[in-house]
Amino acid sequence: MDILTISLVISAIHLGVPIILPMLGGLVSERSGVMNIGLEGMMLGGALAAVAVTFITGNPWLGLLGAIVSGLLSGLILAILTVTLRGNQVVASTAINLIGAGITAALVPIIWGVDGTSPSVPKIPSMTIPGLSDLPVVGPLFSSLTAMDYGTFVLAIVVWWVLFRTDAGLRIRAVGESAESADAAGIAVVRTRFIAVMTSGAFAALGGAYLSIVTLDVFQASMTQGRGYLALAALVFGKWRVWPALAACIVFGLADAFALRSQIVGIGIPHELLLALPYVLALVALATFVGRTSAPAGVGKPFVRA
Amino acid sequence: MITKRTLARNAKKVATLTLSIAAVAGLAACSSGGASAASTAAAGAPVWAMVTDQAGLGDKGFNDLAKAGIDDSVTKLGGTEQILQSTDQSQYVTNLQQAVTGGATVTTGVGFLLTDAMVQIAQANPNAKFTLIDSIAADSAGNPVPNVASITFKEQEASFLAGIVAGLTTKTNNIGFVGGIEIPSVDRFYSGFAAGIQEVNPSAKVTAAYVGDFADSAKAKELATGFYDQGADIVMDVAGAAGLGTFDAAKSLGANHWVVSTDTCKESLAPDNFLTSAVKDVQGSVLNENTAAANGTFKGGSTVLGLADNGVGLCQDNISTIPSSIMTKVTAATAAIKAGTLVPPATPDELKTFKPGTL
Repeated sequence: MDILTISLVISAIHLGVPIILPMLGGLVSERSGVMNIGLEGMMLGGALAAVAVTFITGNPWLGLLGAIVSGLLSGLILAILTVTLRGNQVVASTAINLIGAGITAALVPIIWGVDGTSPSVPKIPSMTIPGLSDLPVVGPLFSSLTAMDYGTFVLAIVVWWVLFRTDAGLRIRAVGESAESADAAGIAVVRTRFIAVMTSGAFAALGGAYLSIVTLDVFQASMTQGRGYLALAALVFGKWRVWPALAACIVFGLADAFALRSQIVGIGIPHELLLALPYVLALVALATFVGRTSAPAGVGKPFVRA
Repeated sequence: MITKRTLARNAKKVATLTLSIAAVAGLAACSSGGASAASTAAAGAPVWAMVTDQAGLGDKGFNDLAKAGIDDSVTKLGGTEQILQSTDQSQYVTNLQQAVTGGATVTTGVGFLLTDAMVQIAQANPNAKFTLIDSIAADSAGNPVPNVASITFKEQEASFLAGIVAGLTTKTNNIGFVGGIEIPSVDRFYSGFAAGIQEVNPSAKVTAAYVGDFADSAKAKELATGFYDQGADIVMDVAGAAGLGTFDAAKSLGANHWVVSTDTCKESLAPDNFLTSAVKDVQGSVLNENTAAANGTFKGGSTVLGLADNGVGLCQDNISTIPSSIMTKVTAATAAIKAGTLVPPATPDELKTFKPGTL
């Protein structure tokens, strides 16, 4: 009956992954100079698309593909609004959030004829890794995670490698710091931002799909419950860098898991305080470790060739 | 000097803004008007309105039940319905006022979380009629608001019966409770459940844990999984729409991981894991109040419904699968509660002083 068990870690991963995926999305978009506070709405779109495609095809992997397509679409809309039309990035991405919440809730009765919650669909199964899953103590870890969990960490490495170790990443970051200079150096600013914002949508949508076809097997209206905003907070704590932001997401997941699990074990702290833990941690981190934040210099500035 | 280019740029800006605003407005229309719009109803025809709490329709709980009551009202009393869904707490006041402005005959507010908003709107519209489910509308002096019919349930009585079933079913003597937020109705479910278990199985242990809201199924799933991990074989779900997560946890773990549910039967969510449910007749009470309004006999004030009023009870859908040895106890407890010789505790404090052994 101990709180510090391997199942706490598993729980933390389950609660952390749906924050990590949109965080990576936000990172890519903001590094290219487009503020994306529309992650929450993009997640909801992905969650619904995943369930809808799985419902039709019976295959959750195709559901994931559906989520990616929905994410690319929502990213495309945001890119058209902010890059092509040069609209205010905060206003445009807030609109994405509102549209995401409204359209997904409205589509449930249209697709399934019931309100609020879809029927259940096949979910992405967890994998048992032969050998590792028989290990003492950490064994359960290797039988309760899915390909999505492992994939998320691989994706984090890929994002870091592309952004900081490749020419393409250098171009994205250059566009995010100073679009004018990047343009003068011959980088296609508009195309770079389109790619970055659409990628961001796909990542956020995968985060939503994780909730709907990995954690659960249904879509519920507004099921993301603010995780898109938590991802943005993690991004700020991590100062727009991959590893610190990833660490922030894991701390959020761990704090949530601890708040939930410790009630079961009964450690004698009122649950209201425990449940506030992730938010308290966020405030403490912001006030002490983070200091002056350092957003990419070009975030929020529309680019127009002079 | 205004150049052509800046003009063009401004035009584009205006276009984007307009687009965004249009999108937002369109959304507002579909989120609050996920309704069969009723403002066009012929004069004189009644409009049965309802405002959900943050869980919204599809919670397989009291929102869906109240909606069924509204549907019944349309079938039996005529007129049209208007359902306003809230997705967060800031929408309660505006949704209630919108229902009144839309010409609602009676506006039903579903859930304890709407209490303050309901009092505010009912006082601002003294000629409108309201039904409040699961809470009592009282003004700042503690007097009932005269135009609100407040319906509360003795959840503890149904929950006590569910506790008897759980207490006699558990093999591990370890039972979990996943609540949404610790509000009075959740406390009534918990206290009755724990007392029912104590009554028949004093060595069984019940532990309560809370999600923090009624909508985050992923967190509810982690809680339920945690309970089963730690050896519980039964988990009671009182977490509204988030309860889906509890069922998902039980379903993933397979047979002998039971769920006791609330409000509605929910057997379809996990047929192999569904043990029983402490249900309440929200549907009937909504219809009752609407019928009273249609007949001109609507009056405000507080009504409390228990086992004796058939306002609460055990799920009847799978009652035949419960062993007769357990049902004997349930029947005895039902009789004792109706007779008033057994009073299940309604709060955790009353639970502390509850003396089992009257059966």
